[in-house]
Formats: sequence, C-alpha cells, structure tokens
Amino acid sequence: MMGPTRFLTIAGFAATLLAGTAYAEPVDLTVWHMEQPPHRVQRMKELLDEFNAAHPDIQVKQEPQSWGEVYAKAPAAFAAGNGPDLLFTIPDFTTVLKGINVVVPVDDLVKDLDSKHGFVEATLAPYKYDDHVWAVPAYNMAISLWYRNSVLKAAGVEVPKTWSEWQAAAEKLSTDGKSGIGLPANKQLYTDQTVYSFMVNSGAGDLYNDDGSIAFDKPETVKAYDFYSKLAKFSPADNSTWTWGEAEACFANSSCGMILQFGVINTYETQAEGDAADLGVAPVPHADDESASATISYSNAIMLTTKDEAKQNAAKVFLTWLLEPANYGRFLTMEPGLFLPVTNDGAKAESFWSDKTVTKYKSQVETMIANSQTGKLFGFTTGKVFPSIGAISAQNVIAETLQRVVVDGQSAADAARPGRRVCPKSPPNSGHAGERS
Amino acid sequence: MKNTTLAFAFVSPALLFLLAVLGWPLVQAAILSFQDVGVIGSEGHFIGLGNYATILGDAGFWRALGRSVVWVLSNALVQTLLALAAALILNQKFPGVRIARTWIILTWIVPTVVVVIIWRWLLSPSGGMINPLLIQAGVIERPVGFFATREGAMTTLIMINSWRWFPFTTLMMLAGLTRIPGDLYEAARIDGAGTFQRFKRITWPLLQPTLMVLGVVGTLLSFNVFDVIWLLTAGGPSGATQTLPVLIYETAFKGYRLSEAATISVLTSILLMGFAFLTTRAMTAAEADR
Repeated sequence: MMGPTRFLTIAGFAATLLAGTAYAEPVDLTVWHMEQPPHRVQRMKELLDEFNAAHPDIQVKQEPQSWGEVYAKAPAAFAAGNGPDLLFTIPDFTTVLKGINVVVPVDDLVKDLDSKHGFVEATLAPYKYDDHVWAVPAYNMAISLWYRNSVLKAAGVEVPKTWSEWQAAAEKLSTDGKSGIGLPANKQLYTDQTVYSFMVNSGAGDLYNDDGSIAFDKPETVKAYDFYSKLAKFSPADNSTWTWGEAEACFANSSCGMILQFGVINTYETQAEGDAADLGVAPVPHADDESASATISYSNAIMLTTKDEAKQNAAKVFLTWLLEPANYGRFLTMEPGLFLPVTNDGAKAESFWSDKTVTKYKSQVETMIANSQTGKLFGFTTGKVFPSIGAISAQNVIAETLQRVVVDGQSAADAARPGRRVCPKSPPNSGHAGERS
Repeated sequence: MKNTTLAFAFVSPALLFLLAVLGWPLVQAAILSFQDVGVIGSEGHFIGLGNYATILGDAGFWRALGRSVVWVLSNALVQTLLALAAALILNQKFPGVRIARTWIILTWIVPTVVVVIIWRWLLSPSGGMINPLLIQAGVIERPVGFFATREGAMTTLIMINSWRWFPFTTLMMLAGLTRIPGDLYEAARIDGAGTFQRFKRITWPLLQPTLMVLGVVGTLLSFNVFDVIWLLTAGGPSGATQTLPVLIYETAFKGYRLSEAATISVLTSILLMGFAFLTTRAMTAAEADR
C-alpha cells in the first residue's frame, strides 16, 4: 500500500505536470506604436483582441506613445530594461535603435512574408542595410497637395502643377482673411517633411554626398528653401507652432485654401463637409525646370526588439497574422485614407477597399497611392545609410534651417550655408554608414 | 547628547534621502560628463575634459545661458510687480477678501499642460480670443502669431509663466505683509505719513527678508523651468527660447550626445549652487546686520 508521503509526492508531481500542460502561461508581447488618436487605438484594440482570442498562447497588448517623445523615451526604456517587444518605426528612428543594438534582424520573416504577399520594394528598401532587414514594413504614407475643387473654381485657379502656378494659386486664394496655403514653419517633423517635399521637387532629394558629408547648400536646396519661404507668406501667422493637426484643422475649417498633408480624408469626412466630389488631391507641384512631381514618402514599419526567443517566435506569428489580407485592410483603415498598403495583395485587399470611407473617397485614395510611387525619404536616397540621419531627423535640422529664413529673415543661401555647421555630429559610437543590401 | 549631535541625528534621514535622490544622480552626471556616451544605453569611453572644452567653446551654450539670464530676470521683474500689487490689495480688508485670497492661487494649481492648452487656444490667430480683442481695440490690424517672432515668443512665454507663478509669490508676500505690526502703520499715520511714505518707510524695508528668500527660490525655480517652454515653443522659433534646460534636453535626447548634455547639466548645477551659496551668505550677513 502507498504511504501518505509517497502519495503526496506523486500527486504533487502530477499536479505540476498538469498545470504545466493545461495552464501554460501565454507569451506576453508589448507593442509600442505612435498612433495615438483614440479611434486608431480603438482599431488596434479590436485587432489585438481578435488575435489574442485566436491565439490563446500569445497575448499582445498595445502601449501608445507619441512621435514627439519616442526618440527620447525608447532608448531610455531599453537602457532600463523596460523596452517593448515590438516597436513601430520610421527609417531614421531605426538607425538610432540599431545603434544601441536593440533591433533584431527580421530577414527570414520578411523573406517569408515577401513570398506570400509581395512587398512594394520602395517600402522595404530603407530598412535593408548592413546585410540585414531591420523591420517589417507595415504601412506607407506620402504627402500630397489637398484642396477643395469648389474653392479653386471660384478663384478661377487650375490645380497647380509647377511652382509658378502654385505661387499664383496661393496668391489668388489668399482673400478675406483666408490663407492661400497652410505650410508649417515649426521646428518639428512635419516641417521637415513638407520642406523635403519641396526639395525633391527641385532636384535636391539627396541629403548626403557619397562620403557622408551633408549636401545642404546645393543650389537646388537653396532654391527649395527660397520658394518655400515665398509660399509660407500666404500661410497663417501661427504656422511656426504648427504640427500635422493644425494644418488639417486649418483645411477642415476652410481657413486654408490648400495644404500639404499625408491625408485629410478622415478629418474632412468627420469635421468638414464630407463631400467626396469636392475634395481634391494632387501631386506636390514641381519646380518649373523639373519635368515631373515627386514627394516625400515614409514607410512605417515594425521592429522586433526582444532577445527572448519565445517572444520572437510569438511576434513573428503576430506579424504574419497582421499582414494577412483579411486583417491587413482593417489595420490600414484604422485611419481611413491615410495609411497606404506596402504589400501587393494588401493593395487589392477587400478588407481595405470595402471600408466605407475608403469606398467613398476611392479616387482620392488611388491618387495618394499613385503619388506614393514617386516618394523619397531624406537620408535614404543614395543607397547608403548614414547613422547621423537619426540625429538630423530628431533635431529637425531641415526645419531649423527653414526657420532661419522664415523667422530670422536670412536669405535662403545664407540659411543653407550654415546648414553644414548646424547638422549634428554623429552620435558617438553610432557606427558607420551601412551599405544598402 | 550634545545639541549639535542631536540636531544631526534629526536631519540625517532627510540628508540621506537627498543624498540618494540628488547626490547620486549628480555624481552619475559628473561621471558621464567625462565620457563620450551618445545614445542613452550605449557604451562610452573616458575622454577627460573633452566635453567641457567643447561646451565652453560652443557659442550655442553661451547663447542659451544668456537667454536663461534674460528669462530669469524678466520673470523675476514681472512676477514681483504683479505679486506685490496683488499682495498689497489682498492685505486690505474688503468684502470677499477671503475668497479672493483662495481664488488667486487657481492659476498656480492648474496643471502645466492645461495652462499650455488654454494659452495656445487663447493666442491662436485662427480661432483664439486674444487676436479679435486686439483687433477690436485697434491695437493690431490683422491676427498675429504670438510665437512667430523671436521677441514675441520670448515675451509671450515670460508673460504666461509669470501669470502661472505670480500667485505663489503673492502668497509669500502676503505672509510677509501680515507679519508687519499694524501699530507701525498707525503710528506713521498719526505722524502724518501718506500712503507712499508708509509703503517706502515701513512696508518695503520690512518686506526685504521675504523678497530675499523669494529672490533665491524664485531664481532657482525659474531657471529650471522646462515644461512651459518645451510645450509651447520647444525652444523656437529658430532657437529664440532655447534656455539651458531646453538645450540640455535637446542635446541629450534629440542630438543623442548624452555626455555633452551631462556636461551642460554639471556646469548649470555649479552655476546655480554658486548663486545659492552667495545669496545665502549675503542674506545671513544682512540678517546679522539687522
């Protein structure tokens, strides 16, 4: 007969085994993203709830952050051991975190996803260097020119294609306390983006020379700054404090005739007229001596930032699930008409095109996608990725140079000249230029 | 047990706490200032006084220091004038004085973020209340951007910060005013002293100790203000409101030069500690003279 001690030992062992198998702790993943507006957080929650319900062994939770703070907060969090497992990113931010060795290459996963869905190469390229892929592209964004057809028609203005047409249009639309165009002049990422939209349209898209020096005072760059400052005179007086929201608000309440923005559809639909036929979108006009329009385009991506193998595997399951066309369209439409697909099958996904806002503004979304095909991103145009691009972006050097013209009244040539000087040193120990692979 | 020993025993817990939460980070910052750490969390090497040479030779540091001095002096002037006027009024007896004394601290207890949002909206050229009022009053012809020019941004920030902090100064001054014996005013009145004479001969001299304390505390608090500046202008436009705390933040977390930021922090600490030491000594000497 079994003694009580032996019985208890065996029972305890069995209980441990059962608990270990039947009630295994799920793998917890923390995602940091910078999509703070409540409706985006809500859509993410819906997707995560659905994923978590379908994958009881993995639990993903979101912690929304802000773009304004994440450049400082993420390195500090990783240094303190409290970093997330997955982190949304843009190309220059990736170089910062790669520099402190927290980013895990995702070569195999991207290869697998690419074979399944087909990544748009331009969205993947900024994350491919130093023989690895450093993030999984998630959505694309490109700046376009937004206007109201009725406003242009009333002013007798055609949609501008060149800079001289653009300036004439802004001048004509500046009446009765209205601003012809809303351009930011804040020392902030939005201004970096809009200024670069001018630079790529005057042939000044390459921020770096081949040797890593900053090619900032080229005649094409000076020309872009000069024209931007002329056009900014038709903008509201407080544009030196603007971020994306103020520009959208200015357009939504009809105070601005035109704006440069990634997307205004949701704001226009919910806070303005919501008349799809009246909302116009066009490529950013180009310099008179250039033949075609270009724009700034950002592919946002997701980095894997955990060294834990179980978490890495769980993260791969989650990312694979997210890019499935049935889910991916709902992810993109967390902000309808702003986030553009990065995969070929995503671009055709029923879950994307069936969204009611996307359906209503289909022609605008198609134009945005077409504009994104001509997109470039500062610091990622020469085939080499220099670590200082993280600091250049974080310090808003492009916007700071604009302020010298718009606020300090310097000439564009003078403002761009010290650009070489104000361009920050590479952070110490941040490595060397990575060759695009 | 001797009195001195007993006193040390009483203050030692507080001293140990301060050592842990202030002394240790300061030591860490000092160590960091002798290295070349870039992004937080990355490795650094000892480089001696290299960062100090870089920072002291950087015109940007001196410009930020200059702005900090302008910021502190302007805030001190505006806040002192506002607070003195408010304290003198609140020291009178009139119906509702108790409510007024409570009401005045409202701007001080409102969280900074709320203050920033309120003023942003009030001052906005598109939809804000201030611009239409100024246009109606004939002061301006068209809406102006209060943060759009270098001088405008700094002046507006000083006014907003003073608006936020003057109630604190008012309460301190009010406490000082209530300590002045009423007999003195009564005697002066009998001797034929007018309002200005009473203020000049009684109020102002007897308020000096309070003003001295406020001068030290206010300078230190004002010098270190970061939140209002960062949230309203982020140091702009074109660096016009980049004071030393803003420069430290930008160097560390936007320029990714953590060691250089630590160097500026150490230099700032030395500057402020020197100021506190000298003014405390001056106050002690003035107290002894009295």
